[in-house]
Amino acid sequence: MAKALQVRNLSFQYKGTDKKVLNSFNFDVEKGELLAIMGPSGAGKTTLISTLNGLIPHLIDGKLEGEVIVDGWNTKEHETRDFATKVGMVFQDFETQLFSTNVALEVAFGPENLALSPGEILRRVRESLRSVGLEGFDEREPATLSGGEKQRLVIASVLAMESNLLCLDEPTSELDPMGKDDIFAIARRLKESKSITMIMVEHNIEEVLGADRIILLKGGKIIAMAPPKTILREVDLLRETGIRPIPITELFVRCRSKYLPLTLREGLESFRKEGWGIDEARYLSLIERDSLRASRYGRVLIEVRGLEYVYEGGLAALKGIDLQIREGEFVAIVGQNGSGKTTLIKHFNGLLVPTKGEVRIEGVDVRQTDILQLAGKIGFVFQNPDHQIFAEKVIDEVSFGPRNFGFPEKGIAERVDRALAAVDLLDSTEADPFSLTKAERQRLAVASVLASAPKVIVLDEPTTGMDYQESIKMMELVQELNKRGHTIVMVTHTMWVVSHYAHRVIVMKDGKMIRDGKTRQILSDLDGLREASLKPQQMVEFGRALGDFAFLSLEECRKCLVP
Amino acid sequence: MNFYLYLDKKTPIHRLDPRTKLFLLISSFIVATIQQHPIFALIVAMPIFAHGVLSGSLRNIRRIIGLLVAIGILAALLWSIQAKGVTPLFWKFQVEPLLYGISTGIKIDSMIVAGIIFLSTTKNEEVAIGLVKLGLPYSFSFAFCTALRLAPTIMGTARMVAQAQKSRGLDLQGGGLLSRMKKYIPLLVPIFLTTLRYTNQLSMALESKGFRAMEKRTFLLEARFKARDYWITLGLLLVLALVIFIRIKGYGEIEGLLL
Repeated sequence: MAKALQVRNLSFQYKGTDKKVLNSFNFDVEKGELLAIMGPSGAGKTTLISTLNGLIPHLIDGKLEGEVIVDGWNTKEHETRDFATKVGMVFQDFETQLFSTNVALEVAFGPENLALSPGEILRRVRESLRSVGLEGFDEREPATLSGGEKQRLVIASVLAMESNLLCLDEPTSELDPMGKDDIFAIARRLKESKSITMIMVEHNIEEVLGADRIILLKGGKIIAMAPPKTILREVDLLRETGIRPIPITELFVRCRSKYLPLTLREGLESFRKEGWGIDEARYLSLIERDSLRASRYGRVLIEVRGLEYVYEGGLAALKGIDLQIREGEFVAIVGQNGSGKTTLIKHFNGLLVPTKGEVRIEGVDVRQTDILQLAGKIGFVFQNPDHQIFAEKVIDEVSFGPRNFGFPEKGIAERVDRALAAVDLLDSTEADPFSLTKAERQRLAVASVLASAPKVIVLDEPTTGMDYQESIKMMELVQELNKRGHTIVMVTHTMWVVSHYAHRVIVMKDGKMIRDGKTRQILSDLDGLREASLKPQQMVEFGRALGDFAFLSLEECRKCLVP
Repeated sequence: MNFYLYLDKKTPIHRLDPRTKLFLLISSFIVATIQQHPIFALIVAMPIFAHGVLSGSLRNIRRIIGLLVAIGILAALLWSIQAKGVTPLFWKFQVEPLLYGISTGIKIDSMIVAGIIFLSTTKNEEVAIGLVKLGLPYSFSFAFCTALRLAPTIMGTARMVAQAQKSRGLDLQGGGLLSRMKKYIPLLVPIFLTTLRYTNQLSMALESKGFRAMEKRTFLLEARFKARDYWITLGLLLVLALVIFIRIKGYGEIEGLLL
């Protein structure tokens, strides 16, 4: 069978650096294969993808060794633009790939470049939009689409080139759960119906079960290459490569079972085969611990009454929100994109002012105060650290806030040190913030908020774009801050983060709060989750299948398990 | 928040060839600026406004009405201070400079409105085709249109950066000129770097979709001069000739105005 892709002794080193990002890679991809590439941040995943259509070496400078041959063409011998009919590229950030004024023209851009006839272009536009479920969206402006729809549009615009190899670089990392599902459904359909060869970089392990092969990268080297069934059982290897193992698999590995399941159903089967049971008394102690924790919360810090917010242009984003947040709580706000999560938290530090109703911080109406005074009480960590980092040194970045709030100069150095120690960046005090990794920059953003010692820390998607280890490090930091007395309010799509760390969950839908309660209660309320298009956690489902148990992590399940 | 102006409507103006729309814009500029007297400027502003109504662009004009009033008044003041006249009005004011100022205010507003109408009725891609059909290279036309497209994106970034820095206690008010300028650094650095990253990734996406892969490319949108385009072009030429003729004949001047 002819190969779709051949990679031979491929190495690459970016210009101006002294380390190889890719180190003698060798692999082939068969036609029609779905290959998943996984690995921690900085492993070389995106670099590898960039070599497949000649972006490296033609647009990105550096030293390339070895060969990449796509459908018989060597990437060194042809320009990237000439590869457009052979390799389709879908990048992570969909915003930078959409530039047309309506959906149809966006898809038409590629075929127009190929100088096809208008009739043929139109046929391809129709067909590509149908493949991604965007029929009838022709005249819509891309900016008005949801995140998931935008990424589907990007895929359609690439499909219109009718290339046989499709490369997707973390296509779902910025999407909500529903948007993610849509993209994977499209990928499966394309594989089945059109026999397109696909190479996908992905963090999310449940989604690569359908792949034919997985390549694991670490530190610029291929450390494993095998079918999912083999790799997904190598729990320790996955953890080392920044990937979250499938919880049910990890549970059985930790309990030293010989029957390693990959799915919930296999898990239940293995559980029976092992003849294990669940200790109810131990489970009840988990619930008691929840209640004890809740009884220790302090006074009300944030109070929201009848909050409504209408954006300029008439879009009602919040429709009557009532809630109280007490000192010491750890609250997660979940829901689809556009459900009003971020709009809600922007009211807590006065970035937005209620259209109707009121928001009180420590009893003071936000309308009677200003953002400067509130910012001392409520620290706000935005989703993208690059929207705020500006200083030449880490230390200046972190002291920016405290200086603005007029803290005495003498105490600032100490505050900065303490904040940097908390986020584990004390060694980088004099470093250039832009030389840090994305995860480090996100922790720097937390430090720059922490330095002002606010009572409440609000985080918008704190783990977006991080691998598993980085996410754990980030969340352990947040958990530690909570234990030291900071109240935490966090918006996130990452449900395992909610399940492992939050005390309380608020579920939003269409500008309303549809659920509010303890994490255990909300995550086991499957109807509520479904209503908000959220997926249940595997350990919760596992517990429910075994009895009336809602385990929030595999550790909890392990504690209650009697062999 | 959407900063993009194009309104997807099916008015007769929207259906014109992009070249006709470009000519309409240029004619509006010429007609708006050629006369000196505010009466003439007002007379000229009316068809421009009618053009706005006809093309369904009022929504966008309404969005910036405050800005138009502010620019109009500011321009009136600035230009009347610069000029001198002969007829005293009251205190230090004279009739002619005031008329001149008012006229300039109207002219500037007319041009802004004409620009808004153009952007409300013409897709970026149409502008590109229009420019290509007028003989400009596609790379240039595309770059020009992408720049138009980039403006709303940069404004969106600026808004997010401003929110992030405000949350960290950045206060842009107060202080002298120098310290105020310094305060803008925390805004400008992230906006600049984010935009740089954006354009870098955009260029890779373009290249991957075969941008400039062929000597010539085709367009899905068609741009063809139809009967109505010829009629409108002819009409505009006549109007321009008339306006220039009137100007040469010396009408529309403010008598006694010294610049």
